Amino acid sequence: MHETMVIMRRELHSYFISPIAYVFGVLFLGGQMWMASVGIEQGGIAAPYLFFAMLPQVFLFVLPALTMRLWAEERKLGTLELLMTFPVRIEQLVMGKFLAALSFLTLLMSLTVILPITMSVYGDVDWGPVLAAYVGSLLMASAYLSVGMFWSSMTRDQIIAMLLSLTSLIALYALGMPAFLMVLSQSDKIPEFVVSILGAISPYKYFLSIARGVFDSRDLIYYMSFCGFFLYANSLVLKARRVKG
Amino acid sequence: MIKVENLSKSYGQTQALKGISFEVADGEVIGFLGPNGAGKSTTMKILAGYLLPTGGGASVDGMDVVKDSLEVRRRIGYLPESTPLYTEMRVDEYLRFVARIRGVEKSRLKTALSRVVELCGLQRVVGKTVIELSKGYKQRVGLAQAMIHEPELLVFDEPTSGLDPNQIIEVRELIRRLSEEHTVILSTHYLQEVEAVSTRVIIVNLGQIVADDSQENLVSTVETRGLKARIKGPADKVTAQLSELLPGHPIKVLSKDGETTLFGFGLGSKKKDDSFIGDAIAQLVVKNGWELHELIKEQASLEDVFCKLTESDRLEARHA
Repeated sequence: MHETMVIMRRELHSYFISPIAYVFGVLFLGGQMWMASVGIEQGGIAAPYLFFAMLPQVFLFVLPALTMRLWAEERKLGTLELLMTFPVRIEQLVMGKFLAALSFLTLLMSLTVILPITMSVYGDVDWGPVLAAYVGSLLMASAYLSVGMFWSSMTRDQIIAMLLSLTSLIALYALGMPAFLMVLSQSDKIPEFVVSILGAISPYKYFLSIARGVFDSRDLIYYMSFCGFFLYANSLVLKARRVKG
Repeated sequence: MIKVENLSKSYGQTQALKGISFEVADGEVIGFLGPNGAGKSTTMKILAGYLLPTGGGASVDGMDVVKDSLEVRRRIGYLPESTPLYTEMRVDEYLRFVARIRGVEKSRLKTALSRVVELCGLQRVVGKTVIELSKGYKQRVGLAQAMIHEPELLVFDEPTSGLDPNQIIEVRELIRRLSEEHTVILSTHYLQEVEAVSTRVIIVNLGQIVADDSQENLVSTVETRGLKARIKGPADKVTAQLSELLPGHPIKVLSKDGETTLFGFGLGSKKKDDSFIGDAIAQLVVKNGWELHELIKEQASLEDVFCKLTESDRLEARHA
């Protein structure tokens, strides 16, 4: 645990001293606020869900930027070799980095609380769904981050890591859209059960139910297994380096 | 302290290590020497716990580098080739990070930091960002991180490559100071480096150990190259008299510069030959009233040993 925290602290620290974090923060927060205000103007409803409605799509594009650095840079600088000779388990390294990315995002997300607070001044805000939406968003973000981190471990080039993450996240997102699944199931070549499995994979689908305020423990288990799978794959990629060099 | 037995490592088809064995006692300073791709780095990476061996084994303090990897890693300070550092961190931040991850207790963090800062001469740069540092300072930071947890064994992979001559001397001096209290394994291309700091030399080539001995013993296995003398006197007369005095030692006129001539003397196989020839030349010069301007003994260096050992291997490889 100690080692995981040390790794996490270093990663968090490096988020805060890199300009990317600030560019990311400003774009993310600014974008979110802007979209929410447009929603309020057009719909005339002061509902926090406007803020969360676009979040899955926004995450799709911005979260790969948070994770692309995590392993690719270590590989490029050669620091990964040194990191792997410290008395730390690979799983602790992976966990530390993952928690750092998640904490950084949680911090940014917590800054958006100002939005529902502002709304509550002008109208009644139902805090239950707001809280559920925050939890759902962070769970979905965890899933996205674990995918991004996995790709980062596969290459020494951050841009490639980013593009691979983006592509796979878009694919996962599409699998969560009923319309897309309909198209798939109409094809004769894909058996029905494959379509339903594919449909069950997408983190987007589970976010929708949580964002609607339906909080099911199965959703939680889903997100934990999803992250677990990619973080485990991530540690396998690193362990393979001990063999390949 | 270290025991390496029949250690081998393959990367796919290429065999980087073909079963090497050696032992290192407490307090020894081992110089790993060999051309690029000889297997130096691979050996060090296995010892440091980064790579897994394909066959054979290695242990540090009786602990296996694979089975007790974490425990072995705790006892080693490692500096990989090309000194990878987190460039965006400050020197003190970085060293503190390494200390924490290596389990240095919170209460001892400050002492540990000031110890390595002083030892590596980092006082002036401790508040700077790593990216601002010169290569020499970066190297010192790399050495500092390797010893912040006071390990028993230090493993340095080419600690002076890419440095300028002054920096090389500084880093070597630092390593020599460290070697007083630690067991050190270092690899290098520079033969002078091994000559300057290590007590024992292991020469590897093509994944095998071709020599493992003290410097003196290794050098003595190669003949001395010869002797040169610059003498002021009639060249033909000198040649005639000297060849009479020293039968069995071919004499050559190497160059002429006005009245002085540079002679080269071949040496026999006996070790004492060089002083014998030197004496003979000196006496002859004095007797004839010539002048002896220079007497140069060309001693075999580790370089000769290295070339000889690795060359024969290269030839074998070509014929195979």
